[in-house]
Amino acid sequence: MESRPQIVKEMTSRERVLAALRREPVDRTPVCNPTSVATVELMDLVNAPFPGANRDAEAMARLAATSYTELGFDSVMPVFSIIQESSALGCKMQWEQKDNWPTVRMSEPIWKDVEDIVIPNNFLTHPDMVCVLDAIRILRKELGNDVAIIGKTMGPWTLGYHCFGVEPFLLMSLDDPGKTMACLERMKEATVQFGLAQIDAGVDALTLPDHATGDLVSGDYYKRFLMDMHAEFVHTIPVPLILHICGRTVDRMDYIAQTGMAAFHFDSKNAPKESMDIVCDRISLIGNINNPETLFAKNPEDVRKEVVANLEVGVPLIGPECAIPLQTRIENLREIPKTVRQWHGEHDHTH
Amino acid sequence: MAELSDIANEFIRQEIDEFLERPEEIKRNVELFSRVRSDMQDIAAALIEGEDEEVDRLTKKALDEGTDALEVMDDGLIAGMGIVGIKFREAIIFVPEVLACARAMKAGMKHIEPILSESGIEPVAKVLMGTVKGDLHDIGKNLCIMMLRGSGFEVVDLGVDTSEDEFIDALEEHQASILGMSALLTTTMPNMGKTIEALIDADLRDEVMIMVGGAPVTQEFADDMGADGYGKDALSCVSLAKKLAEEGV
Repeated sequence: MESRPQIVKEMTSRERVLAALRREPVDRTPVCNPTSVATVELMDLVNAPFPGANRDAEAMARLAATSYTELGFDSVMPVFSIIQESSALGCKMQWEQKDNWPTVRMSEPIWKDVEDIVIPNNFLTHPDMVCVLDAIRILRKELGNDVAIIGKTMGPWTLGYHCFGVEPFLLMSLDDPGKTMACLERMKEATVQFGLAQIDAGVDALTLPDHATGDLVSGDYYKRFLMDMHAEFVHTIPVPLILHICGRTVDRMDYIAQTGMAAFHFDSKNAPKESMDIVCDRISLIGNINNPETLFAKNPEDVRKEVVANLEVGVPLIGPECAIPLQTRIENLREIPKTVRQWHGEHDHTH
Repeated sequence: MAELSDIANEFIRQEIDEFLERPEEIKRNVELFSRVRSDMQDIAAALIEGEDEEVDRLTKKALDEGTDALEVMDDGLIAGMGIVGIKFREAIIFVPEVLACARAMKAGMKHIEPILSESGIEPVAKVLMGTVKGDLHDIGKNLCIMMLRGSGFEVVDLGVDTSEDEFIDALEEHQASILGMSALLTTTMPNMGKTIEALIDADLRDEVMIMVGGAPVTQEFADDMGADGYGKDALSCVSLAKKLAEEGV
């Protein structure tokens, strides 16, 4: 590959991430973790083990900061899982232990009908929400403006899985699309409320996971149920939004690119080149280093190959495809920013 | 040799013509549906369309008219589910549609199961299925169960968050010949290996064939853990279970 002109002055991590989310020039490709890079090793390093680090603001902030201080990523993400809102909405939880993520007991749903959906008055003052908001404030105070602080607010489709149960929610979408839309309309209030609260607390951007994944539903489903709603979030939640959907998503990337969201965090089931060709310059892609086979099970040299493959086709923000396995070795994670810096050293030149 | 035009039901003909691409699957389904009676084709068509009330009505009608329960199950319900599995594998339909088809299958089976049970007809094999300890995700496991039941297996569903002891207890209670484990999380998939070790310690490993699956699981991981097979999706799970049932323990 030809050398790239170096035309941008050196940026802070925060400036780098925000510029890439705006699709503006950067001094080098940022390394970003819009889901989670918490690991057991990092928990031990800062004495912030699960499950406490999901429920205690100080521990949450300490663990989140490690992605910047220990790994060299350009962003931090204090929300390690996808369950804070569902806990506040009243779902039954399994908080698990240090070596596992907390999960919603989706087999014990709390809602059946549109009328059941109520966002409680104390939604934002529930301890599991306050924990996130306080952690964001601590991170801003401790890290200043050096690093991008990314928050997370769950989309209504994912909340539907948690609150209605996966199978009942998916069957409802087929049996009664109108009722499903009405449910999504009500649930989106939770997405907006928590998003705005995190902006007040100081986030620079928000990840919006909404698991309309290719493993479960079609691209047409995404267009029919979610595309317009995601476009609406761009206006109602005024920070750069990063949509996250796991699995194969090339059949819906064109729709996603039309939402106006700043970025799409994409899975390694989608080839970087094919994905870049679909979205063109309409949305920034973030990803897509494989988790279970590469970061979890292989070595730094294998990580390096995947990072380079993404850089070579111009993926604007590099990072793991999803929340990384908790037993991932630190050396594999450190290899991501290391490779990015080395690659730019070899390919950029100063005029 | 049977031709597509030998199939009476127009919807079934269209399904095979439009959605099946693999020559061996086209041949197998053309031969199957050209052989089966038209009222069985109607049941299969209703199942493929996910019409549970229609499957319920047609199944009851066929049984009331004296059709053998096994024939209704094999030539109507299982035949229809075979097409559903292929369409799901090829991403022509997705989980909501499969759930509707499984609901239709259940509507038919509720009439058939008591008859088969009374007459002592054996299933293809008995399978225990569970999501491993620490994992509450069950949609993948449930899809496998639907496809297995739709293919004539008897399945005991152990649910989610299944401990090693619960797998062992269930194996001793149900005397299943196949045990299937599922995991969605990288944090929980090692629990498949721990369950296999627990079965070895309990002297039960040689009594059962073990299959594993789930989004982060790979063939390599399955081999390392000592499983007998890995299925990457619900249809592969059925093929694997048939293979393991034939091989036996």
